[in-house]
Amino acid sequence: MNASPTPEVPAFQRSRQARESEITLDHITDDFDGNPAAMQYFYDLFRRVFIQGEALPHEGKLIGTTCIQAPDELIYAVGATPVRLCNGSYHYDQIGADFMPAKSCALVKATLGMLHSATRIPKTARPDLIVNPTTCDQKKKSSAMIEGMGYAVYDLEMPNVKESEEARLYWQRSVRQFAHKLREVTGKKLTRQNLKKAIAKTSRAQAAFRQLHNFRKSSPAVILGKDVFLITNAFFFDDIDRWSDAVEKLNAELTQRQAEGFKAAQRKAPRILFTGSPPVFPNLKLPVLIEEAGGVVVADETCSANRMLYDMTAVDEWLVNDMVDSLADKYLKPCTCPIFARNDDRKRRLLDLVASFEADGVVYQALAGCQVYEMEQKSIAEALNAQGIPMLYVETDYSPDDQGQLSTRIEAFLESIKTRKRKAAA
Amino acid sequence: MRSIRDAVNQVHFNRFRFWFQLAAFVLFVYGGYLAIDLGSRLPFFSCGYNQEGRAGVCYLLPLQHQLGRPWPMLFTAAGLSILTGLGIFVLWFIFLNKGWCGFVCPLGTLQDWLTALRRGLGIRYAKYSHGQFKQMTKVKYVLLALTLLIPLGIGGGLWSHDLSPPFCLICPARMILPAFTGDFSQFTIDFSSKTAVVMTALGMMVTALFVVGSFVKKRFFCFICPMSALHYLFSKLALFRLKKDGDKCTRCGDCYRVCDLEIKEIADEVGKRDIMTDDCTLCLKCVASCPEEGALKATFAGITIFESTEAGFVRRMNKGHQP
Repeated sequence: MNASPTPEVPAFQRSRQARESEITLDHITDDFDGNPAAMQYFYDLFRRVFIQGEALPHEGKLIGTTCIQAPDELIYAVGATPVRLCNGSYHYDQIGADFMPAKSCALVKATLGMLHSATRIPKTARPDLIVNPTTCDQKKKSSAMIEGMGYAVYDLEMPNVKESEEARLYWQRSVRQFAHKLREVTGKKLTRQNLKKAIAKTSRAQAAFRQLHNFRKSSPAVILGKDVFLITNAFFFDDIDRWSDAVEKLNAELTQRQAEGFKAAQRKAPRILFTGSPPVFPNLKLPVLIEEAGGVVVADETCSANRMLYDMTAVDEWLVNDMVDSLADKYLKPCTCPIFARNDDRKRRLLDLVASFEADGVVYQALAGCQVYEMEQKSIAEALNAQGIPMLYVETDYSPDDQGQLSTRIEAFLESIKTRKRKAAA
Repeated sequence: MRSIRDAVNQVHFNRFRFWFQLAAFVLFVYGGYLAIDLGSRLPFFSCGYNQEGRAGVCYLLPLQHQLGRPWPMLFTAAGLSILTGLGIFVLWFIFLNKGWCGFVCPLGTLQDWLTALRRGLGIRYAKYSHGQFKQMTKVKYVLLALTLLIPLGIGGGLWSHDLSPPFCLICPARMILPAFTGDFSQFTIDFSSKTAVVMTALGMMVTALFVVGSFVKKRFFCFICPMSALHYLFSKLALFRLKKDGDKCTRCGDCYRVCDLEIKEIADEVGKRDIMTDDCTLCLKCVASCPEEGALKATFAGITIFESTEAGFVRRMNKGHQP
């Protein structure tokens, strides 16, 4: 008769894997003062999903995506639910190492590791289909491996160049093909109504994101970058309408904060633009380190945040064919992913972000083995330096081992920015 | 001031343009009944064959007549009237630039209505490759050259007067616009001479092509319109302009997406400020569908009157939201 009053902590919660997420989340919530009240939704969400291992419900078929290029709207339209599978966990990175050569990208390895594991965190049902856009080589080659694990995989064909009309038409055809595949999987057809509604769903999320994004222009900052990365990471798996509600609530709070002259960071805090390989929870190491060191991440150019949500769809004729082609255009034309042959748009985007967010410097994260980002580093640094914008290039991975060394480098970078600013002011 | 500006930038643009075009159509097709006459140097197809209803005459009609005078006359005071005519045409033109095409031209408006009809029926548009259109847009310059040279040949006695005015004889406006006032007399083939038979038959064919073409392809006729070519020669002088700030452009292609004339430069060109090309009709749909603040704008004499905004974009593209 020894009824224990303390509930037993479930096994997963005691695992090293959950601990990894808990450490990141604790840093995000506890190391900073004045977290917005509306952020509690996201803190709780991550705690439930990544630490308590709570299962995520979904409607209709579950469609896994390995890249932001897979059009969510088509998935929602046929009554299915998309979930982005890109993973940020060191635990899964180590498991995934069995599939890829040693010097491969941690994100790809972690995604493979997660799919290979019996317990997948975030804990979703087994995807009915995994859409793998043919982007970088490592992701391309993952298709067969994921299939080998028993999943149904669909290669969404992407062109290597995006500027030409040929590439555009090729991609439009490719997206239409994907719509057919979805019909095969779900048994549902795209209609004017369901597609229009699906576009409205993501447009609402995008409008909310853009509003949040615009708040980051204010100086001093009203919100920190670590929170924004957490929010956009939630978009990977959260119910899209609940996500939009939560972001809209946060925006309302930020409006108030702005009016009250609230400071989320010091007035003199160096303003940082974050670019490169995407920070995916729990690997928010670098943005968190920047802000712990007294900087503030005011904008980003990564596919786990800005690039995923910023560009919106314009439709001229709300007929199925025009909506699908419009979506295709939206996913291809503004994309600044380094897998494309040219990176002029990425340079232009970065320079514009620096100017409009008054960034003092750029931090460029390359996950070791993520060749395309590694290769673009030089040209991006040159473009930025030509405008007098300093850039810190950081090559890292998911292991926690380099934290000390990274924080030293970040502190030095932020210090040099402060010195520059002092000199400029004098 | 700021709130007026916001109201303009967030306007439901397509709706505004629809009503503007309708008003312009009524004015230029039926204005004659109210004794409105804006002269015969108008830079759009206010067709002179619509004798009762027209509120002014398309410049191409008098221009071809003037050029068709006997050659010796071209070098007298009558020749001077060609220059003054051109001057008045240019004055009209620079006011709205190609906006005459996108907002006023009755033939342009008719094409938009045919498009709306197709859309209403749920029929998709025809797709052609970009290359095919790049070829087709050159036709307008050929047509313009013929529109100017054939009358000169007629004046010189090289060809029959039955060929005059050459462009009007094949222009779809000659048959279609009078029909709006109940005058179907142009829907005939003139058997008085071989030339007349050929020209009126050709006119019939072009009219049929116009109706079918603009039903399946947005603004089909504008690609080959010689008036559009004539416009472009003077567009540098215009007061009404389309400007682009390339630094703010993400090349998302939203503008290209909605462009009736599929002008790729509008999305891809980031170096030029003056972005209007020869195919452009200045319909400003691109400005209305650009989500970047101030990336695209319409200016009049240097003053911005309508520009792209995020809020405007969100409002306009908000079609599928449940109330």
